[in-house]
Amino acid sequence: MFDYLRLEVRRTLRDVGFVIGGIAMPVLMYLLFTNLGADDGSWKTGAMVGMAGYGAVGSALNTGGGVAEDRAIGWLRQLRVTPMTPRQVVVGRALTGSVTVLPAIVAVLAAGGLVNGVRLAAWQWASIAVLLWLGSVPFTLLGLGNGYRLTGQTTGVANMACNLGLAVLGGLWFPVALFPDWLRAISACTPTYRFAQLGTSVAEGHAPALAAIAVLTLWLLAFGSYAVLSYRHGAGHN
Amino acid sequence: MRLCRAGAGIHTVVAMTQTECAAVSFTGAVKNFGAVRAVDGVDLAVAPGETVALLGRNGAGKSTTISLLLGLYEPDEGSVRLFGGPPERAVRAGRVGAMLQEGRAVPRVTVRELVTFVAGRYPAPMPVAEALRLAGIAELAERRVDRLSGGQTQRVRFAVALAGNPSLIVLDEPTAALDVEARHAFWASMRSYARLGHTVLFSTHHLQEADAYADRILVVDRGRIVADGTAEQLKRSVGGGLVAFDLAGRGTAGLELLPGVRSLEVRGDRARLRTDDPDATVIALAGLGAIRGLEVAPASLDDAFLALTAPLAEAA
Repeated sequence: MFDYLRLEVRRTLRDVGFVIGGIAMPVLMYLLFTNLGADDGSWKTGAMVGMAGYGAVGSALNTGGGVAEDRAIGWLRQLRVTPMTPRQVVVGRALTGSVTVLPAIVAVLAAGGLVNGVRLAAWQWASIAVLLWLGSVPFTLLGLGNGYRLTGQTTGVANMACNLGLAVLGGLWFPVALFPDWLRAISACTPTYRFAQLGTSVAEGHAPALAAIAVLTLWLLAFGSYAVLSYRHGAGHN
Repeated sequence: MRLCRAGAGIHTVVAMTQTECAAVSFTGAVKNFGAVRAVDGVDLAVAPGETVALLGRNGAGKSTTISLLLGLYEPDEGSVRLFGGPPERAVRAGRVGAMLQEGRAVPRVTVRELVTFVAGRYPAPMPVAEALRLAGIAELAERRVDRLSGGQTQRVRFAVALAGNPSLIVLDEPTAALDVEARHAFWASMRSYARLGHTVLFSTHHLQEADAYADRILVVDRGRIVADGTAEQLKRSVGGGLVAFDLAGRGTAGLELLPGVRSLEVRGDRARLRTDDPDATVIALAGLGAIRGLEVAPASLDDAFLALTAPLAEAA
């Protein structure tokens, strides 16, 4: 299992598309959005959490793209004729997702602290990183659901749509304070908004709201079920 | 265990009484896809150490048979056993290695990383260097799999199949998409592996490959095993042969009507008669005095294959 995780993490980090789209882009966007135009400084912290979240969501969904690719080239089928159990393969993939979200989180937080001069207590940095890491699990499951159900190309499109749609709606790019009321109401239901909220609460010095955890847990269950159904659906003909 | 050697009779279902001895055994296996019956009641047994070819046209049911064998599909009827148990158990125990059809290069790993990973899944793998050497890709170890040629990729997939040092290796159309040279290199590798005492089962639609590399050939047609034996036995089972002689200026009229003759072909001055009964044909030719340069050849495996699988089999 550890070998499988190591192999897949290695394959992911060698993917130029992943490194640019999943790590470099969020950092660049963060630096651009926060350094163009006047700013009161608080957005530098909020945007840092938002963009770290955006990078994490993209990386988590990317795991599903990997699954779709592996199905298309017959690698998952090949694994089925080795002694590995299907459970090990799926869990290994999910763990891969949870490892590959880390570079984006760390890179954007580093940009915040080192370039943008965001100042937080050590426990806040650590908590934000850990909460964003744990909070990305539902998105890994969403990606796996897409990857096991769709073909390689449609998975790419579906992941992109989920990533951009959820990022914008959830206020990862622009603060929801700028949204009209009706949109803010929708935003409050999105997993991305609640995901970022885990980090912003800590940045503001208090524990995440129960509502955030509750909404995110509901999404975790929804995406988890989706992943299980997709896996069963795809298992016959991968 | 002494009685484990399978008899390989033509048109006989090899009934292996001690199925626990067989590396592979199918009993009345059926697999349907919707209304299509891809595998239609297959009985077969492969003894440990045999090299067996599944020979058939594209769409004859070879790949489905192999998927059943590997436990990738469940049979709708009948049963499939590997080493006396369900296929999945043998696969989990690391007794099986496979090269599946249409597998493509795994992106962003080196040959060594990939083969090392797969070897590590098995309880008693062979050293990675040995697997690479057997597959003929030792010098490609540090190259990335997705940057190799088609033939090299195919050999990487072969290394993946044998890395775990499985007792049974299953190769589905292993040389499809290989050029002649790569094909020779591949079969040389496969032979070295079989020589270690392993059981090899491969599918192919190339008659020469089945003829040259298998101890035993199972001819698959429309989801059934229509013949089972050595290449020699298959050729003999069809009977007949090819009778050729120099026309030496005589015409070809009436030759097709001679006893046993099925078809006539003229190449230059030489007539070639395909016949069901070479003896009768030769006697008739002798009666006509047409025996200059007379040559009688047994049926080729091509003939046997056509006779066994043709929609309207003439010689059955």
